[in-house]
Amino acid sequence: MRIGILKAYIRKELSELLRSRLIIMVYLLPTMLMLLFGYGIRMEVTHARIAIIDNDQSRLSNLLVGKFEHSKYFDVTTTVMDEDEALRKIKQAQSDAIIIIPASFEKRLLKGQTTQIGVYVDAAFPSRGSTMESYVQGVILNAASALIPSAPKGSIVINQRTLFNQAMRDEDAIVPGLIGLVLLVAPAIIAALLIVKEKERGTIFNFYASPLSKAEFIAAKLIPVFLLHSINIFILLLWALYLFEVPFRGSFWIYWLASELYILVSISIGILISVITRTQIVAVVLTVMVTIIPGFMYSGIIMPISSMVGMSRYEAHVFPVMYYNHILYDVFLVGEGLTSQKTQLYLVILAVYVVILLSLGTLWLRKEIR
Amino acid sequence: MNRIFWSIVGKELIGFIRSWQLVLVVLYMFSVEVYIAGSGIEINPRNVAVGYVDGTAGGLSQKILTHLHGPEFLAPRRFNSQRELSRAIFDKEIIVGLVFDADFEKKWRQNKSAQLDILMDATAASQAYTTLNYLQHIVLDISKVNIPVDIVTHKLFNQNADNHTFMALTELLSIITMLSIILTAVVFVREKEQGTWDLMLLMPVNPKVIILAKSFSQIIVVMTGIVISLGFVVLGIFNVPVNGSLSAFLLLSFFFVFAGSGIGLFIAAVARDVMQVAQLSIVVMMPLIFLSGAWTPIYAMHPALQYLSYISPLRYYIEGSESIFYRGTEWIDLWPYFMGVISVGGVMYWIGFRKIGRLF
Amino acid sequence: MGMLKIDQVSVTHNKRRAIKDASFSANEGEIIGFIGADGAGKSSLMHAIAGVIRFEGKISFQNTIYHSPSEAQILKSKIGLMPQGIGLVLYDLLTVGEHLDFFANIRDIRQDDRFNEYKNRLLRMAGLDKFIDRRAGNLSGGMMQKLSLICTLLHRPKLLILDEPTTGVDPLSRIELWKILDQIRCEEGTIALVSTAYMQEAAQMDRVLLFDEGEIIAQGCAKELIKSVQDMTYVRKPFTTPHSMSTLDTTYSLEPLEAEHAEPTLEALFFVNALQKNRILPSVEITPRDGDTSFSSVVMEAQGLTKTFGDFVANDRVDIRLCRGEILGLLGSNGAGKTTFIKMLLGLLPIDDGELNLLGKRIETAKDRQELKSSIGYVSQHFALYNDMTVRENLHYFASMHQIPMDIAIKRIARYSEELGFDGYMDAIPTELPLGINQRFSLAAALLHEPVILFLDEPTSGVDAIARAQFWQLLVALKEKWKIAILITTHYMSEAEFCDRIVLMRDGCKVADDTIPNLYTAHPNAKTFEEIFLEYYR
Repeated sequence: MRIGILKAYIRKELSELLRSRLIIMVYLLPTMLMLLFGYGIRMEVTHARIAIIDNDQSRLSNLLVGKFEHSKYFDVTTTVMDEDEALRKIKQAQSDAIIIIPASFEKRLLKGQTTQIGVYVDAAFPSRGSTMESYVQGVILNAASALIPSAPKGSIVINQRTLFNQAMRDEDAIVPGLIGLVLLVAPAIIAALLIVKEKERGTIFNFYASPLSKAEFIAAKLIPVFLLHSINIFILLLWALYLFEVPFRGSFWIYWLASELYILVSISIGILISVITRTQIVAVVLTVMVTIIPGFMYSGIIMPISSMVGMSRYEAHVFPVMYYNHILYDVFLVGEGLTSQKTQLYLVILAVYVVILLSLGTLWLRKEIR
Repeated sequence: MNRIFWSIVGKELIGFIRSWQLVLVVLYMFSVEVYIAGSGIEINPRNVAVGYVDGTAGGLSQKILTHLHGPEFLAPRRFNSQRELSRAIFDKEIIVGLVFDADFEKKWRQNKSAQLDILMDATAASQAYTTLNYLQHIVLDISKVNIPVDIVTHKLFNQNADNHTFMALTELLSIITMLSIILTAVVFVREKEQGTWDLMLLMPVNPKVIILAKSFSQIIVVMTGIVISLGFVVLGIFNVPVNGSLSAFLLLSFFFVFAGSGIGLFIAAVARDVMQVAQLSIVVMMPLIFLSGAWTPIYAMHPALQYLSYISPLRYYIEGSESIFYRGTEWIDLWPYFMGVISVGGVMYWIGFRKIGRLF
Repeated sequence: MGMLKIDQVSVTHNKRRAIKDASFSANEGEIIGFIGADGAGKSSLMHAIAGVIRFEGKISFQNTIYHSPSEAQILKSKIGLMPQGIGLVLYDLLTVGEHLDFFANIRDIRQDDRFNEYKNRLLRMAGLDKFIDRRAGNLSGGMMQKLSLICTLLHRPKLLILDEPTTGVDPLSRIELWKILDQIRCEEGTIALVSTAYMQEAAQMDRVLLFDEGEIIAQGCAKELIKSVQDMTYVRKPFTTPHSMSTLDTTYSLEPLEAEHAEPTLEALFFVNALQKNRILPSVEITPRDGDTSFSSVVMEAQGLTKTFGDFVANDRVDIRLCRGEILGLLGSNGAGKTTFIKMLLGLLPIDDGELNLLGKRIETAKDRQELKSSIGYVSQHFALYNDMTVRENLHYFASMHQIPMDIAIKRIARYSEELGFDGYMDAIPTELPLGINQRFSLAAALLHEPVILFLDEPTSGVDAIARAQFWQLLVALKEKWKIAILITTHYMSEAEFCDRIVLMRDGCKVADDTIPNLYTAHPNAKTFEEIFLEYYR
């Protein structure tokens, strides 16, 4: 490695990135993804539009309706309409669930007879449907047990302790995972373009004809993107801490080290794609395909790795996002740091990824016309 | 005029078919990609990993544990001490840990209230939440509390809450968005890059005809993809229920692809080369897809995003398609979706005509 | 010893044998010209020698032998390669000064006083010292080529490989390029391999290699080579025999003709070779057009046409008149405003000031243009055609765009393809075809609707000698049979002699507008048109 040569290439790449509008992508894309996903994805269902048809209009039924009205999960409209009309409303997607309280609700309850409450849930969006169903059941059971003062004999009290995310905030659960996704996609896309752009344009001849070695060329392409995206590590951290108010319990240094390593992994993936493709458009499509989808599936945002079985479990271990996200959740929510052997191991694994990917890139890079 | 229109459409279709890489990518997207999403992505809590420490001799604790079974739970793993258990949670090997104290069963037999300690990794918030819900049900069930309310739940439209069909459909809709935008944008920008733009401008033809014909050719490509994907993957493999009218869906798709190609036209008018098309498309498409309600219901979003979602044609398309497939909504009730898609498309073409048309 | 020895080198690229068993050698300070049609293997051999493509055979330079690009790696600091294509190795967004720094740095040159002096001298020679801060993307083609050349010379290479450095470059810039090259070459004792489409340039070199269909078919000094074809070169005969070919002023024949011998140039090699290999192109016959030929005698009149880009005045009050049945040559250096002018005539760029009349009609609105589009034909610099359609499909597409009835279109396409000599390529994709064929088929596309005005922007750049000669015969025939008006730009000054009238442009202004004989009278010292051209630029 000759430092002077690297410096020249880096200066060239940086001025090109600055003068073309590519620099906007470097900083706009990660932040945009972060804000969109951070504000856009909600696992819990809030403000579900629920219509209660209260055919009883009694004290007890009012009490039940009140319980729903006070819940943050529901936006309630109480109406008197017939069932068909209510179903029609669901069909038009104007309400998400309907609860039908029968006319004899209070009377039967007071007599100790069992009474039926009808619930219709729109399950067109299945996970939302299931969640709503359990919320509705929870509210009704809760209300019912409060109304019936019967003391059961032996009972089990559940004493739950939620770790890491006591308030069960969606932000805390999603935002750290998002950093892992964003830092996988954004650096890879920029890096994927760098070499293939020179191939398309013809300036790759400068490399072919120069005494520059393959490793030097790769380093020259890698370092500018690395430097630019290193700033994103801090920008994303600021969004997470101050905009989404995610706690930060671990060591900043581990966050920094792991993130820099991870960016290197992401850039190496991009460079590898850049080495094997011939046109920019194919490079972009390929990068999106190998980063966004696995990045999302194996980030742990949607589904924890421990829940995966079979093929997907192995696949999750192949993609680097799993290792980085483990460290991310640790520094944000857990704070064990290097005392955990797993964190140590995963840092090493990330470093191994960098070495393997870059070696492959150097190996496959051709210093001749094909 | 007719002949010019169809010659342009024919020319673009020939160009598309000849670039076999593009054909492959499009086919891949409409088939494999939809299949992967449908079979791979799972949003419902499934296979939640549970661990426990049992200080009792068994009995009640085992009774509770037998209720934790698939598909929601993996078989519970036993740990010897509470330390080991929490270690496993910290290492993300399990998400939920149950701790049965030594006097857990004794207290229950003595008709006192027995305490079950549950440790949960709430970084997987939705899994944790569902698990808690489940456990509450199980415990209520075991302790035989009589509540005189019988809840009869009907899950409408997708009785088994089958996630696969839903994800496959959502992915198909996202792919339609992506391709209708990118393909149209590339068709226009490629002329700029190849230098044939000038030739196009010199033809004694009304620019609007050229614009419409070029985008129409890509609409044909995407519509063909939709039909293939519907036939082989969405209906063929995943068996997505069709409660409404399939022709309504195809018509709605047509108008949506029209709107999408309008957005592509807009991008082409602004971009100078394929590189910029790629950048702009990513910047435009990401919000489009995530503001559509495909991932999160719109009413649960930040209010600012809720207003923004009105300009996303995908919002109307997704709601409309869900209504057609699952809710079985009738033609007459679908008008808001048609209106939404058509008006967004109309505005886009109006801008496109003005931006590109002026160059003619 | 700075010997270069090429021994039995073959290159296979994209499964096609590009060059086979090429051998030659060169001594220190020698300059060797590569000439031949496009696709003859010149570039591939150059790439092999520069060590940027895989090859079979053996190359030795300065006593180092290499058989592959990786073995050539240690020599790269001594080799300079400038590949084909204007500004190909330049980064549009970097300035001239940044390019020099970059090229110096990637070759790890010590930037001491001696280097800086050398660098500044190169910049001054190239006339780029005033443009240090201009971005490469905003330079004219000639300046780009000069910048590429000095970037290639920065590390004082001992072996310089230049692939068509002067194609598409105006005469003035070409002279400057050669001046730089000769001076540095003599000082440094560099071996230079240069391919060129200009035979005058090749004639100046120490030795010339003639390439044809992937082989070197002749080598020697220009005089020897010219001598070998002297017997087959005659003054133009109006008739043709099966074994002869004619350009506008010369006839080549393998059989003796009863005519005076003419003084051949290196171009004669191409024709004689084609005759020997029996590759005789059909002679040009143009049948009269379908439509009538009676239209106004002045087809285009521009008065005070002006175009500005920011502060830069691309066209400054240009007055040009084009008459029916006339070939008007529009000449000028790179960046003189020729293309801008044509684009304004076509309506591809809005006119900032001035008045334009086409076919006796004042052009003011887009609607005025719409009606005239069917009377105008245009062939652009890059022969822009749709590369995903065959030649036939392209032509049919153009026909329907112009709403030519199907039966007439089919007849015309068949006729043109035969008359313009590309009927054998109707089902090929344009990118697979030699440039010369593409050029003729672009012309056919521009003629399908029988325009009365034809605008041609550098239609002969990068096209080989035979194809160029054929093209000009075509244009002359079109003018005579169809009476159409042709406006053409070119950098080949020899072609200017075939024009009826010449307009010379410099820095966006018209500096001359006259017929060829008149120009020669006005410049009695000039022997060739190139010299006349240069007098306007001195």
